[in-house]
Amino acid sequence: MSLPVAAITAVAGARSSMGNPAFKACPRAKGGPHAERFPQVIVQDQHNRKAWFYEELINDKLVLISFTSVKGENHYPILGNLVKVQEMLQDRLGKDVHMYTITTRPHFDTPDKLKQLADSHGAKWQFWTGDENDIREILTAFSVRGSLYGLIWIGNEKTGRWLCKVSRQQPLYIAEAVARLSIGKHYRPFLVDMHSV
Amino acid sequence: MAPAQAGAAAGTGSLAWLYNGSTPGETLVARYGEPVFIRRFNDLPTSDVVEMPIGYPAITTHLHNAHTASESDGYPMDFAIPGQFWDHHYAMMYARNDPREALASLWYHDHMIDFTATNVYAGLSGMAIFYDHIDTGNENDRHRRALRLPGNMRFGGKPGYANGYDISLILHDVRFNAQGNPAYNVFDIDGHLGDLITVNRKVMPFLHVERRKYRFRIYDGGPSRFYELGLGDESPFYIITNDGNLLEEPVEATSIVLGPANRQDIIIDFSRYRPGQSVEMLNIMEQINGQGPTGRRLEGPERMPVMQFRVMDGNVEDNSRIPDFLRKLPPVSLDEVVAEREWVFDHDMGLWTVNGSFMDPTVVSAAPKQGTAEIWHFRNAGSSWAHPCHVHFEEFQVLEWNGKKPTGILRSRKDVATLGPNDHVKVFYRFDDFVGRYVIHCHNNVHEDNAMMLRWDLTPG
Repeated sequence: MSLPVAAITAVAGARSSMGNPAFKACPRAKGGPHAERFPQVIVQDQHNRKAWFYEELINDKLVLISFTSVKGENHYPILGNLVKVQEMLQDRLGKDVHMYTITTRPHFDTPDKLKQLADSHGAKWQFWTGDENDIREILTAFSVRGSLYGLIWIGNEKTGRWLCKVSRQQPLYIAEAVARLSIGKHYRPFLVDMHSV
Repeated sequence: MAPAQAGAAAGTGSLAWLYNGSTPGETLVARYGEPVFIRRFNDLPTSDVVEMPIGYPAITTHLHNAHTASESDGYPMDFAIPGQFWDHHYAMMYARNDPREALASLWYHDHMIDFTATNVYAGLSGMAIFYDHIDTGNENDRHRRALRLPGNMRFGGKPGYANGYDISLILHDVRFNAQGNPAYNVFDIDGHLGDLITVNRKVMPFLHVERRKYRFRIYDGGPSRFYELGLGDESPFYIITNDGNLLEEPVEATSIVLGPANRQDIIIDFSRYRPGQSVEMLNIMEQINGQGPTGRRLEGPERMPVMQFRVMDGNVEDNSRIPDFLRKLPPVSLDEVVAEREWVFDHDMGLWTVNGSFMDPTVVSAAPKQGTAEIWHFRNAGSSWAHPCHVHFEEFQVLEWNGKKPTGILRSRKDVATLGPNDHVKVFYRFDDFVGRYVIHCHNNVHEDNAMMLRWDLTPG
């Protein structure tokens, strides 16, 4: 049996990094452009649905990933702004664009609490929690430290292009980043032309 | 000039984005008084088919730090997508028509909003040289005012051999993957460190040199590494510019310190070496993450090789000079000052901020008026990282660095204030000639892409 090239590379990568104590032994996802950056863990949303983090939520998708917690939202609110982004994405949300919020306090934020948080803002996207260590691995992959984090990662894992914006950035510019990273009929280099001439 | 993608078979080169088929792009050589027009076509593939795993294939090219009208400056929102072009007009005028404001060593690089670090890392950088009636590039110049610095630049010589005596060297540190392509972790927003230093995009190259004086224009192309460069034998050389602008007097030194986007020109005299001898340029600045240097110097075998000079045999003619006096600085007159502003570089909740704020192209954070002067304060509120603070369009003169008057090469005109932890720099600016939008940002490009940038507008006086 011959393995596909990508699988061979992944196996070789895992082997070479296992000897290095700087790399965690956590299994890595496979397949997409940034698969090896993310832990192979299961997460759970506010409706108690479970998913493999990279393979089901990110791979081959256009995503916006923000970070907060029930408590953190009181100190540094971001959801009000992101609801405006949700409105700008209109019917793309949940189809070819996916918004996720990952809790920075998985030990406290149960699916029920996250449901209350989402509903209280009218957020229709998915809020994820899970095993504390697993969520920590995800937060580490995005360089999220502490429970308050002001950046939203926007990525198209079909093309492997990622950028981050400030979660409280004008919603137009977050929606514009989504349009710029889109491919096919939804691609727009900008929503408002800011060129000089 | 047309950025395009190039690839090479495994083991023979790296995937790169190129200007007219090369990285660094062709050196732009221009003279004051002779305006330049450049049309830059974006021939890169669109993001759905592009092979380069990092960056975004839209381009806007900043000529750092030319005195250029806003629409030609490479403003981050002035990007061209694949299939489009952007026209740049470089007026080749001195700021305020004052020859004391001449720039000498510049570089051009991509400035795409959100993607500057990765687009430059992918290959979109190149050097630029401005000459004028005293810094003519001709070391045999008979004109009384000509400085006759090592020059006589040529193009198209043999690889590994110097083309004339005025040589540009741009440093980028790169991490390569097993296929020899540049690797990069876009999710690490502290900054990116490569484990190998490239010079003009070659790892540890060598250069055959004659036993005479050379002018080297040395650029830190980033994205995040700081350097202290010296020769392996710790022998002295002369520094003649800071941020590419001629000093009043050459400064003798055994090392130079560069942060991202800093440039310094040095003159090394190889006549002190024997034919067949070689000498290395080494980096002795320790840095273990993208945030900035640790403050420790590398010693012995820890020192990082940058490049090697191989001294050739033969007696050579050297009509170049190291003059006692180079270019006078424009006067600083505090009675022209109409405003004082402060720019605080900090880190908060994962955000790199300036004045607690972040890049929003609709917000104008300062609006100095044409024909006025201002005092600006650059402050690093962080105690563990460095921020090379860069302001487009005008050069500043340092009034105080942590309360001390500038000496040595800090007595100069600059465009990047490399702020160490908790540094406070007070500078003098004049604003003139063009109106429009410009930016101030951290030139650790990873911080810049993560919103450590603000817009400021030059407004009619």
